[in-house]
Amino acid sequence: MGLTPPDADRSLAEVSGVSPNWMTARLSDLVNWSRTRSLWPMPFGTACCAIEFMATAASRYDLSRFGMERQAFSPRQADVLICAGRLPFKLAPVIRRIWDQMPQPKWSISMGACASSGGIFDNYAMVQGIDTIIPVDVYVPGCPPRPEGLLYAILLLQKKIMGESLTDQQLRIEQTLGPDGLFRTPALIDEISEPFGNSVHQTRSA
Amino acid sequence: MTAPEPSPSVAALRARFGDAVVRHRVSCGDTIVWVRGERSHEILAWLRDDPGQAFDYLTDVTAVEYRDAELPLEMVYQLRALARRADLRVKIELDKAAPLEVDSVCDLWSGANWLEREVFDMFGVAFRGHPDLRRILMWDTYAEGYPLRKDFPLRGHFSRSEQTRQALAANPESHYSLEELSLAETYHEIPEDMRERLQRGEHGEVA
Amino acid sequence: MLTPYTPLLFMLAIVVITAVMMFGLSHGLGLLIGTRRKTAIKLSPYESGMPVLGDARERFSVKFYLVAVLFILFDIETVFMVPWGVAFQQFVAQRLFLLVEMLVFVLILAVGYVYVWKRGALQWD
Repeated sequence: MGLTPPDADRSLAEVSGVSPNWMTARLSDLVNWSRTRSLWPMPFGTACCAIEFMATAASRYDLSRFGMERQAFSPRQADVLICAGRLPFKLAPVIRRIWDQMPQPKWSISMGACASSGGIFDNYAMVQGIDTIIPVDVYVPGCPPRPEGLLYAILLLQKKIMGESLTDQQLRIEQTLGPDGLFRTPALIDEISEPFGNSVHQTRSA
Repeated sequence: MTAPEPSPSVAALRARFGDAVVRHRVSCGDTIVWVRGERSHEILAWLRDDPGQAFDYLTDVTAVEYRDAELPLEMVYQLRALARRADLRVKIELDKAAPLEVDSVCDLWSGANWLEREVFDMFGVAFRGHPDLRRILMWDTYAEGYPLRKDFPLRGHFSRSEQTRQALAANPESHYSLEELSLAETYHEIPEDMRERLQRGEHGEVA
Repeated sequence: MLTPYTPLLFMLAIVVITAVMMFGLSHGLGLLIGTRRKTAIKLSPYESGMPVLGDARERFSVKFYLVAVLFILFDIETVFMVPWGVAFQQFVAQRLFLLVEMLVFVLILAVGYVYVWKRGALQWD
């Protein structure tokens, strides 16, 4: 499993130089491979994207062939938090706590426009993107994204995980809330929550 | 085409309450009656209890604030008589300059409990006599005001980071105590007045 | 050494080794060399994302204990009847005596049973 493909015209014994009964691989490859092929999702489905998630999990698009056979509804047994749907401010402490309760290694997929940026709900009640609250690995655009979109996001996450290094401790530190009770700096939250697109015109009151 | 007929409840209301019924209108087949706020509870009670009216189902309680600032804020009660299959909309005009207060109708229809909490949360209308008036859609300690008022900006008063910080610090269960949640196990341990309140809440009287 | 139980011993050894190996490979290695990244919230019980209200340890009703103890008593009575049955088969001459003896035994325990019944210990509610 090295970086160079084996020579097709020479036998394995000649290529490897040792007995053809042994094969070597990197530990990180093995570990990452098993992690990617058995990502158990925690479907944090709040709204319409949850329906598309269910459709992806159903037989036509079938999540279980990607290792997501068992959807974990307890964060203790989950690897990936898939936030499917808009997140009201009232639900913010809930998703934060569930994220904190997931053991390492953990990743998250922000599914849909609302989870990624607030979507069409640029108002007083909705979180403008869950990346203001929890760290996100893959964003899936769409309202809702098609099942193929979610599957592509899962494949991207698998690719990301395959490239991870086992010895890099920075990857697995718990990113907790800061002393001010926020996950990102206030300036960053304000900057990424700024209205864009049509929201720019929706500033009226009275 | 002749003008649409108002519901017979209008004439009955005028006969019974006279001046307290300010005006009425028929819109898209629905009858709307404006009444005075001072006698609103009496009028709604009569609409529920009178055998000829019998509006036993409260479909909705809500409020309207119009775009034109000089128009008053309207409380809207949507009533339905299940036996007669009749609808009626009762409105109360509230002057925005004065404190917004209406008598609660929770004692008439139990469903009004959460409906009035929603009106309080979104418009700031206080309900006299409501057993549990607190926010229902926003969190208990929400400090930005009343979101559906016209002077409330779409994205709220605070900055996004402040809103996120307050949201993360809010405890969704802060109102509840353990006794109220695990009641079956601790029923014999809770104080007498709480037990009485719970019994009354279920059947309307101490069983 | 080839008693009829030797194959069972081998079976037992295989089972124990399999169990230990299963645990060792899946959890044991993790327990030994795995990292621990504990935070306070991570260790708290899962309550759908809400802060935990109250203790999960509730008191059980004492009725469970009563039923369990009564079962033990009458089960032991039943257990005593089993070797008595064997003896009854063997001692043909004293069958009447043996029968009366067992009846007296059951009668003594039946007095206790009636007491328990009248006392209401068998009432579930």
